[in-house]
Amino acid sequence: MTFWEITCANLCSMAYDIILMLCMVRILLGRVPDRGNGSIQKHAVRAMVLGVLLAVAGTVCYLTGFWKIEFEIGQILWEYFVLAAWTVFVHDLYRLPLTTCWSAVLLGAILDSYGELLAEAFVYGKFFHLSVPEERRSYLFWLLVILPACRFFCLLFVRRAGRAYRHWAKREERKKGILLLLSLYPMFFHLFLRLLSSKGGEGQENLLLSVSLLLVLHLILVYEGRDEQQKERILQQQISLMQQSAYIEQMEQIQTEVRRFRHDFKNMMAGMYLQAGEGDLNAVQRFIQEMTEDFDRQAGSQIRLMNQLANVHMTEVKGLLLEKLLQMQKAEVACELEVFRPLEGTRIRSVDLCRCLGILLDNAVEEVSGKEDGQIHVLISSQEQCTTFRVKNTLYGMVDLHRVGTEGYSTKGNGRGVGLSSYRRITDKYDFVLTSTAVQDGCFIQELKIQEISCQDRYGMDQEKADQRTAEREVG
Amino acid sequence: MLPVFICEDEERIREAEREYIEKQILIEGYDMKTAVCTGSPEELLEALSGEQRGIYFLDVELKGASMDGFELGQQIRKKDARGFLIYVTAFQDLAFETFRYHLEALDYICKQDQTKMFADISRCLKAVTERMQQEKGQKQPYFTVKVLDVVRHIPVEEILYFSTAGRTHRVELHTKRERLDFIGSMQELERTLGPRFCRVHRACLVNTDQITGVDRKQVSIQAVR
Repeated sequence: MTFWEITCANLCSMAYDIILMLCMVRILLGRVPDRGNGSIQKHAVRAMVLGVLLAVAGTVCYLTGFWKIEFEIGQILWEYFVLAAWTVFVHDLYRLPLTTCWSAVLLGAILDSYGELLAEAFVYGKFFHLSVPEERRSYLFWLLVILPACRFFCLLFVRRAGRAYRHWAKREERKKGILLLLSLYPMFFHLFLRLLSSKGGEGQENLLLSVSLLLVLHLILVYEGRDEQQKERILQQQISLMQQSAYIEQMEQIQTEVRRFRHDFKNMMAGMYLQAGEGDLNAVQRFIQEMTEDFDRQAGSQIRLMNQLANVHMTEVKGLLLEKLLQMQKAEVACELEVFRPLEGTRIRSVDLCRCLGILLDNAVEEVSGKEDGQIHVLISSQEQCTTFRVKNTLYGMVDLHRVGTEGYSTKGNGRGVGLSSYRRITDKYDFVLTSTAVQDGCFIQELKIQEISCQDRYGMDQEKADQRTAEREVG
Repeated sequence: MLPVFICEDEERIREAEREYIEKQILIEGYDMKTAVCTGSPEELLEALSGEQRGIYFLDVELKGASMDGFELGQQIRKKDARGFLIYVTAFQDLAFETFRYHLEALDYICKQDQTKMFADISRCLKAVTERMQQEKGQKQPYFTVKVLDVVRHIPVEEILYFSTAGRTHRVELHTKRERLDFIGSMQELERTLGPRFCRVHRACLVNTDQITGVDRKQVSIQAVR
């Protein structure tokens, strides 16, 4: 075969491999790349260049006999080379740390090679004579049907492993060891295959082997993932316990203050009684004034906050707010909370809601803490058709509104800006969530609005659109 | 002539309010007149013609009535979108931001201390006249948009551009000081906004007044840094 023929054949298989790899990575990482990382055309061109380069390199290796080096060294090196190239490509696509990309690509490659092994098991020990039409047909059948089917079977398997993988990727300790073990995999695999072929094993053994390898990998991932999930659950329970005890503490504090006030109040009443007896109405009025003010000062602000908090009927949100309010108290940040109508629930998952609110509140606290006149105002308003969450804080620096929420943009220096970009990602998941960011009168305002009337309600939606149309008129 | 409406369930306070407001109108020579003074929200709503802009002094907690001050405010807004709402309350911890957010309430007054209440009333009346004066001077086109349950009026000259980010029916509005999501479509916007806005890309509608430069690949608009 000539150089061009081989390159063309390589190109076909490379295109196929890249598509498969992209699917794998998409499933493993659980999301598509961000739009901000460059246009689709740009990435498509890069993928094509990568494919062509690898195809040409493969041809060169084949023709120079690089792959035939003793002990499979050539093959192993080649495999590492391809994996590295893919890692760089994925890194460019997702802008994730190189280790994450490397482990995802590696895992994808492992599963893919199992797919191939599985497919080969069907035809093990069989040689196709391509000159015979019958055999050529069955070879093509294997190449075009069985091989892709096996590879996609593995892909399906990854779909379930994806979650486990992501949990695994989140943990810190022990990750390096496993990553190293995974990295050694191409070496093992080739040596193993060589061992197998030198022994001349049976076809069925091979099939059994690949399936069992697959199972082992699955078990490792699931075990590690479960472990992580369990830890997360325990952490969540701990947090909710902490929040509850904080709530009780707060209540007890109010109670002592009310008790103290009751004591003062008795004394004041006695004084007032005397003055009323003397007929000094002005003094009595002054007394009442002082008393109400006193009460407001002593316990009023706490009670006010708690009154507002009592309107939040979603336990998770209540806990979160309480925790953040205490945090603000500790940091001596003035904070006000307004919950006019009871908050019963929203259409978005409460986990997501809590994460969003947590991010917004943390940002507000971070901006304001340490400043003397800083203030935070939190507004939660549940109306019939929509729920509004608004966090407003005094602004000291400058913000580029149009870049808030893009990954890596932050007023707090490099490597930050993670919070608001994940806030953006969560809110983008829901079609019925609208956000806004504004700077107004020296305050930074973040707003999250959730439409509560279901979109499936056709009439409601049409009504909404009609309203929209009338509202979009320009007022002269 | 601006009509003044009062809705307050306690008769004594209601009368005190009315008396004081009438006195102020006389002394300061405001172009106002007390129209309705009642304890029932229905009576107030019936008196609204739907054409005139008014000043409303509303009690937040209306005992024995079918609705509270907030709901009354919502009903009033349906008939009088530009009226001045002022809330009167016995509680100091009124959730005023909520009132301002949903009803664009002007201010709130605490009725606990009568001398302070009167001072607040005259301050509000003054603020209303000042606001009216200000509005006379300016006549700029507004872009009006409904964001779920809130209607926003944004001066067209402040708008930088509109963009869509992949999701259906959702448009982002960018001004110098705000970024805002709303439900709408680019085609609609392009049609309603007219030639002042230019669709430079499938997903971007730019205010041509804000464009500072154009080259083969990109359109630059005023940066806000």
